[in-house]
Amino acid sequence: MSKLFKKTLIMIVILFMIIAFTIAISTGWNLYNDLLQEYKSKGTAIAKSIASSSIETLLNRDASTIQAMIDRFLEISGVSYIFVVDANGEIISHTFVPTIPEEISKIKNDKPKDTYVKEIVFENMGIFIDITSPILEGIAGYVHVGMDKSNIIAQIKSAMLRQLLLISLIFIFSIIIAYMLVNKVSQPLNALTDYAKKLTLHDFSSPVDIKSDDEIGLLANTMKSMATDLHEVFDRYEQAINDAIVELQNTLAYLTAVIDNMADGLLVTDTDGVITHVNPALSHMFNMRESDFIGRDCRSIFGDKFAEIVEKSITNSEEIFTTEIELAQKRIGKAVATGIHKDTIQSDEKGIGAVILIRDITSEKEVDRMKTDFISTVSHELRTPLTAVKGFTEIIKKRLEDDIFPNVTTDNKRVLKSILRIRDNINIILSEGERLTALINDVLDISKLEAGRIDWKLENVRPADAIEQAIIATSALFEQKKLPLIKDIDENLPEIICDKDRIIQVIINLLSNAVKFTDSGSVTCRAQKLEDSILVSISDTGTGISETEKDHVFEKFRQAGDTLTDKPTGTGLGLSICRQIIEHYGGTIWVESELGKGSTFYFTLPLKNINDVSDISKITYNNIEKEYK
Amino acid sequence: MKKILIVDDDPIIRNLLEQILEPFAEKDIEILIAENGLVALDIIKEKQPELIFLDVMMPKMNGFEVCQKIKNNPTDKIPYIIMLTAKGQETDKEKAKASGADCYITKPFNINDLLNKVSEILQVNLN
Repeated sequence: MSKLFKKTLIMIVILFMIIAFTIAISTGWNLYNDLLQEYKSKGTAIAKSIASSSIETLLNRDASTIQAMIDRFLEISGVSYIFVVDANGEIISHTFVPTIPEEISKIKNDKPKDTYVKEIVFENMGIFIDITSPILEGIAGYVHVGMDKSNIIAQIKSAMLRQLLLISLIFIFSIIIAYMLVNKVSQPLNALTDYAKKLTLHDFSSPVDIKSDDEIGLLANTMKSMATDLHEVFDRYEQAINDAIVELQNTLAYLTAVIDNMADGLLVTDTDGVITHVNPALSHMFNMRESDFIGRDCRSIFGDKFAEIVEKSITNSEEIFTTEIELAQKRIGKAVATGIHKDTIQSDEKGIGAVILIRDITSEKEVDRMKTDFISTVSHELRTPLTAVKGFTEIIKKRLEDDIFPNVTTDNKRVLKSILRIRDNINIILSEGERLTALINDVLDISKLEAGRIDWKLENVRPADAIEQAIIATSALFEQKKLPLIKDIDENLPEIICDKDRIIQVIINLLSNAVKFTDSGSVTCRAQKLEDSILVSISDTGTGISETEKDHVFEKFRQAGDTLTDKPTGTGLGLSICRQIIEHYGGTIWVESELGKGSTFYFTLPLKNINDVSDISKITYNNIEKEYK
Repeated sequence: MKKILIVDDDPIIRNLLEQILEPFAEKDIEILIAENGLVALDIIKEKQPELIFLDVMMPKMNGFEVCQKIKNNPTDKIPYIIMLTAKGQETDKEKAKASGADCYITKPFNINDLLNKVSEILQVNLN
């Protein structure tokens, strides 16, 4: 049964009951009044009839005749009793069986002038309508006719019952018809509801069998076409989603394949340094399983230095950080950490983690070591013969000058010319020997610098002391050229922490360069304190450097002037070494120059952070770009 | 008579040093030669030179070891030792100092510097 019907049925039943009972009561009431009237008039008619016909009999006191008469009237329906009293109130005859009820005594003495109706209640017998009619205006007596009121009530009851029964039957019949009607309406509605339910479950293929052309049929058709549309839309989206998933899976598989097949080890951490991803190459490098890494703090596996670069890269998006790390089987790896930052995240915010690439550099290290060994061996092997060449040349020169030349007493021009030539040639051999020595020293230095094989001492250095020592070391050069050196050194320079010998090396280099390229004028050495660094400058009044040359003077084997036409007088490595040393300490070195007027070389050494120059190197992106170029 | 000992495995360098030190030989200073550390130790024991030129890179026993042996030897005379090396590395300088060498000269060396140094040590005026 439909819910709609159930809901309305209760209301209908209540309404029906109210209506049915109202009708029954009003009908009963009307019937009661009608019957009461009928009984009264019937009783009155009987009473009057008896009264008129019994005058004589009463006067004759013929009780039996009266008795017979009243007995006859008793048969009329509704008549319950009849009794006749004489003028004195004595009952002459009556129909009470077996005895006269006591209540009669109350009414037997009533003496109305005309017919009079009243109700009387007999105990144990019920309510009666008593009609009193005087006989001969009361002279001969009175006739009392009692009509049974309970009869009326019984009749009303049965009439009402019948009516209720009839109404109920009609009602039930109507309900059944209504139910059938409602069912007929709600069945397709239910079918539509089921259909809609299936639609919500994306079952678009189920049929709905409603073919009526009323509103429900219309609704069904609309729903059907809606379902078709929905089906299409869902199909399209499903296809699109499937395509997207496939594409995503492909991309993911591609990326995973790329990462998994990388020769370098890859490791990803979150912002707390907890490892979230590693590739097989990395697992292999450390001879561990992937599960040994995931979820662990990188500090616990790779140590403090590694954790430090991870931490730094997470907080610093601009730079990448590198360190060396020990791999399994005594191999050495180089770890490069980069912070992972979303484009939307502001630079001062923490990123989402760090990605670390680890490359096995054992063989590179080995090659490097071999290179360094090779260089020192070569330099050793070169030095020994060079020592002999230089030494013997000097001895030859000495012997020639001391013993031979003074004893040549000839005027032969050829001999004298040869003596001059020999002297000249020996000097060339000696100076070239010097140059070769310097070159070997510089090559050794630069290869050590580039291989990072210098043991940088860290000591407190007074810059003024370092400058003074460099000046002493180069004083011979100044004397040779008779050039004055002007000193302008701030006496209150703070101490710096660095390798004194290296700083002296830089200053000697710059001073000897200044002398080398200056023929007249002077060389000036200045030192002053800047905000957080020390600035040293060495100016000369020499040949100067052209704009185009200026950019290249710090490169290896570069010297001012054309090396093809000008006689080279240095190794071409000095400034390159200077730059490497100064940059090692985080300082900068540069030159300002005007061709023909002289040059000024500047370098700075930062006061702070020199301690920070540790094995964790900071590389900016710019530097990396340079390296790859 | 003062003595100078030259210890080097390379005969050319030995020859060179011998010739460089000729002015001292002329001043009655004996020049002794050893081609390796073991020979050098024997000569030192026997002749007790005042000054030793000691090469670092030598077979059998390197200069540092020889130097240590000499300095640890409780003979009455402890000689002045000049280490000669082709290596200009910082570590070599440190090692030389640690093994007890008095002076460290890198090859190739300047003859005049060398002569000045020797005359200073031996208190001999060449002029």
